[in-house]
Amino acid sequence: MSSSRDDFGIAFRSALLKKGGARRFSLIVFILISIIIFFLDTYNYSFMKQARTIINDGVYRLSLVASTPLKVFPSLSDKASSFMNIKSENKKLKNELESYKRKELNVEFLLNQNKNLKQLIETDSIFSGIYDTGLASNVIVAKVLLDKSSPYLQSIIINKGFKSGVLKGMPVLNKDFLVGRVVETNYMSSRVLLLSDLNSRIPVTLGENDTQAILKGNGGSKPLLEYLPEEYKLIEGTNIFTSGKDQIFKPGTPIGTTNNNGEVVLFVEPNQLSFIKIILDQQRKESF
Amino acid sequence: MLNEAVGVKLKNFGPIILLYYFSISELDTHFENYFEILSFNLQLIIVYFWVLKRPAILGNGHIFLAGLINDVVMGFPLGLSSLSYLVVSFFATYIKNMSVHTTLTSDWFTFIIALLISNFTFLTLISKFTELTFSITEMLYNTFFTFILFPFFWFLFTFYNSTVRFRENA
Repeated sequence: MSSSRDDFGIAFRSALLKKGGARRFSLIVFILISIIIFFLDTYNYSFMKQARTIINDGVYRLSLVASTPLKVFPSLSDKASSFMNIKSENKKLKNELESYKRKELNVEFLLNQNKNLKQLIETDSIFSGIYDTGLASNVIVAKVLLDKSSPYLQSIIINKGFKSGVLKGMPVLNKDFLVGRVVETNYMSSRVLLLSDLNSRIPVTLGENDTQAILKGNGGSKPLLEYLPEEYKLIEGTNIFTSGKDQIFKPGTPIGTTNNNGEVVLFVEPNQLSFIKIILDQQRKESF
Repeated sequence: MLNEAVGVKLKNFGPIILLYYFSISELDTHFENYFEILSFNLQLIIVYFWVLKRPAILGNGHIFLAGLINDVVMGFPLGLSSLSYLVVSFFATYIKNMSVHTTLTSDWFTFIIALLISNFTFLTLISKFTELTFSITEMLYNTFFTFILFPFFWFLFTFYNSTVRFRENA
């Protein structure tokens, strides 16, 4: 009995304290470091905030580079096969096609970006805009760097940070529809909390009577409406707008429309974002 | 001869590269577009398997760093994933110390204990010390699928491990 307890103790101690081989430091050292870092980060010590900003910027860029093959290879193979078809159809244009192919492969990524940006600018002129933008100086366009899906948090990383004037709490739009708000800013990048995230709460208004409610993310693609008046009956197809009661979002920004299950179908699919707009004139200080 | 040595060395780095790549890239194991509740934590499987089978190739420092990177990419407080991975690493080391020979069944059984305690640590820290809200149901699904898919990766990694050993012996 005592021998088995000894074995347990030895194995336990050994697991925590043993070094050697690839392990230059024991496990307990890293566990303690993790706990210390966690509490320093959670309680927002100023030096930790600066360190986190640098780490975030570095890791986001690295992450973008690491994710590039995942984005480039599928589109490259599609383009290559498309070029092969053109080549067989029109042999006279072979040389031109070859040169086009080379150029196209090289700049394909840039072309896609350009196309998306153009669409964004066109949308701005079509929608007169709640924010009266037309891509004026109070609006910046940012590219989505990372859109890593997580079962716990739904957020995206964008390539603009406080260097470009982005502050925590700023509203983020796509085609004049609200998609979320900035929750973390670094020097050259920021994190945007999407409307579908469990932590997202937006005051909204709906219906002819300007009924007030809170749009709450539920972790899925269709957020829910909370704090509606008692016995209020949701009608399918009712448009949802920001109420502006939080003093962060301008009133009347379209968000989505209700469906027959009482959920809100967002106008912008949260996992289909390439470029977004951040409204800078809403605030000059971080809102939270 | 030299090429073979480089090949063996590269293969030894396989689990580390995989761990880092899943932590840093957009590649994820969350398949809600295909099946709403399907998500699993491959990093925990990698840590558990390789610490249990070949601790020499997956040091604690790498596990810690991969966790930190994962925290940055996912937006968690720093140190949270590191702690979660290190808890799994601790269990794997403990099981390795206590057992002479392990099988899929024993690995699978002990993995669920490591997984539950690791996720419990994660859940406790995030709910008690941060303002983040997240769905416990999602976490249970994630834990369930991580557990269910463990044998698949066990076979995959065992095969990989055998090729490395084969090359080492050759």
